[in-house]
Amino acid sequence: MAVTPHTVDELTRAAEPRSGWIAAVAKFARERPLGAIGGVIILVMVVVAATAGFLAPEDPLATDYAAMLSAPGPGHWLGTDAFGRDVLSRMIYGSRTALMVGLGASLIGATFGGVIGVASAYFGGRADLLVQRVMDVFFAFPVIILALAVVSILGTGVGNVILAIAVPMVPRCARVVRASALSVREMPYVDAARAAGYGHRRIILRHMLPNVMAPLLIMATAFLGEAILLEASLSFLGLGVTEPTAAWGLMLRGAAVEFAESAPWMAVFPGLAISLAVFGFNLFGDSLRDALDPRLRTQ
Amino acid sequence: MAYYILKRLLAIIPTLLGVAVLIFLLLRVVPGDVVEARYMGEGGQFQSQDLMQIERKKLGLDQPLWKQFTGWMWGILHLDFGLSMWTGAPITEEIQLRFALSLQLALMASTVAVLLAIPLGILAALKQDTWVDYAVRVFSIAGLAMPSFWLGILMILSMLIFFKWLPPMVFTPLWVNPWENLAQLIWPALAVGYRYSAVGTRMMRSTMLEVLREDYIRTARAKGLWLKLILTRHALKNAILPVLTIMSLEFAFLLGGLVVTEQVFNLNGLGMLFVEGIARRDYTLIQALVMLVASAFLFVNFFVDIAYAWLDPRIRYR
Repeated sequence: MAVTPHTVDELTRAAEPRSGWIAAVAKFARERPLGAIGGVIILVMVVVAATAGFLAPEDPLATDYAAMLSAPGPGHWLGTDAFGRDVLSRMIYGSRTALMVGLGASLIGATFGGVIGVASAYFGGRADLLVQRVMDVFFAFPVIILALAVVSILGTGVGNVILAIAVPMVPRCARVVRASALSVREMPYVDAARAAGYGHRRIILRHMLPNVMAPLLIMATAFLGEAILLEASLSFLGLGVTEPTAAWGLMLRGAAVEFAESAPWMAVFPGLAISLAVFGFNLFGDSLRDALDPRLRTQ
Repeated sequence: MAYYILKRLLAIIPTLLGVAVLIFLLLRVVPGDVVEARYMGEGGQFQSQDLMQIERKKLGLDQPLWKQFTGWMWGILHLDFGLSMWTGAPITEEIQLRFALSLQLALMASTVAVLLAIPLGILAALKQDTWVDYAVRVFSIAGLAMPSFWLGILMILSMLIFFKWLPPMVFTPLWVNPWENLAQLIWPALAVGYRYSAVGTRMMRSTMLEVLREDYIRTARAKGLWLKLILTRHALKNAILPVLTIMSLEFAFLLGGLVVTEQVFNLNGLGMLFVEGIARRDYTLIQALVMLVASAFLFVNFFVDIAYAWLDPRIRYR
């Protein structure tokens, strides 16, 4: 592993030096149609989130008490909620919240988990053992319980939810990264860096971390979907993103359940959005894992 | 073997201690305590501080942290979890009421998951890279993607719309009226079980694919053995272990981690108790619940390891 891949494109290119990134994407799509479908779903979601202001027919926060709980129709394509807010617009803006929380939590979780995992493998011995034991403690908690505990300390809101979701991810990431970092530690270039008198921090961050990017990236993508789901669960419990922010889980809370019989659109559509988004990330993550990590391939 | 069991058993202790320290400190970092939660709830923002101090003293919250912690630990060693700070009832009593429900739900959901995962996984492996395989994969990934609380809402909604029928909303213990009981619990069990089957299905598929490439399967095929026999007697036996492992680990989390699903189906289980406990800052209750779930996880983990070592003679215990 002389190359230090940073992105998907670079990784695919590293495997196939002559083809450009368009060819690489085409190859990925041809060989892994399910992954390509996932990629398209993600792409659509990103575009929707980026152009929400332009796409949404109405202000997602604007209440219209004259049109409370109105059924899907020409005025409101997907109907309105108990405050007369347009469901479609709230769903479109909700994609921003979902992406923000998903990306934020994955980025923070993968960064901390990656550094802890590499450092643990690098130092070895007692430090490694101690880190492992601490990770074991975190593993004994169900993810949602840990996230709930963190939220009850920090309080609700987008930023805190991101942190609450990142915390359970750190040990998971650290464990996977540590396993790959153990073999990286034995590489001659790490010895060389040590012989050259580089400090621990530089060796960990500049020499080892870039070489465990593949498993880290796989973990991060796989976790993105789960993070979106967790955010929805927390918001559904009223312990995540708070009103009036447009978030899918939040849209399913309260009135959506109460009036489910008379106004089913409130309960059906946001859940569909959550499922589709997580579905896309999972499909893509799965195929990415197959493509990047030959050891995990089942063919 | 005895040495291995003992070693694995002893390794649980430091982890449980770590869990205890972590949850104990986490709770005390949270602003507010049970006394505040109670009086704020009654609109008494102007309750006298003296009164609140007296309440705190009664609950032992005025003592230094180390004293509270050692007191709690000492109680646990005697299997005494203390009294709920909110209701004043013994924790064991509070938990007992909900435990039966959560355990039953977890068992039912796991059964659903296993019944889905094993046949689907085998099917996908046998028909690898055909549309059957793709369909199974899409089905299982979709299961992972759909929030089980949303699936629950949809289930209730469709029963209401199509059959004009609602599952019972009040819990009846199995031994009182099994029919009522199942009519209520089967839906959350299906919603959760479908979700948890996904992990098992994928595991089953990949281990089955691996096993099917082994020499002894080829030998069995070469000597003209009936395919069904090869699958059940040779392949399944070897492929099923990791699947059962991963599913039993999930089981421990099903016990306490169904916070959201319980909310949707109005089930008064351990998850609901946990959320209530957090809102009320009921330290003793949350601590006991977390210890319960964590030890369930650690012990399931332990038994799986032991069973593994026992079932697979290739694994050496060190």
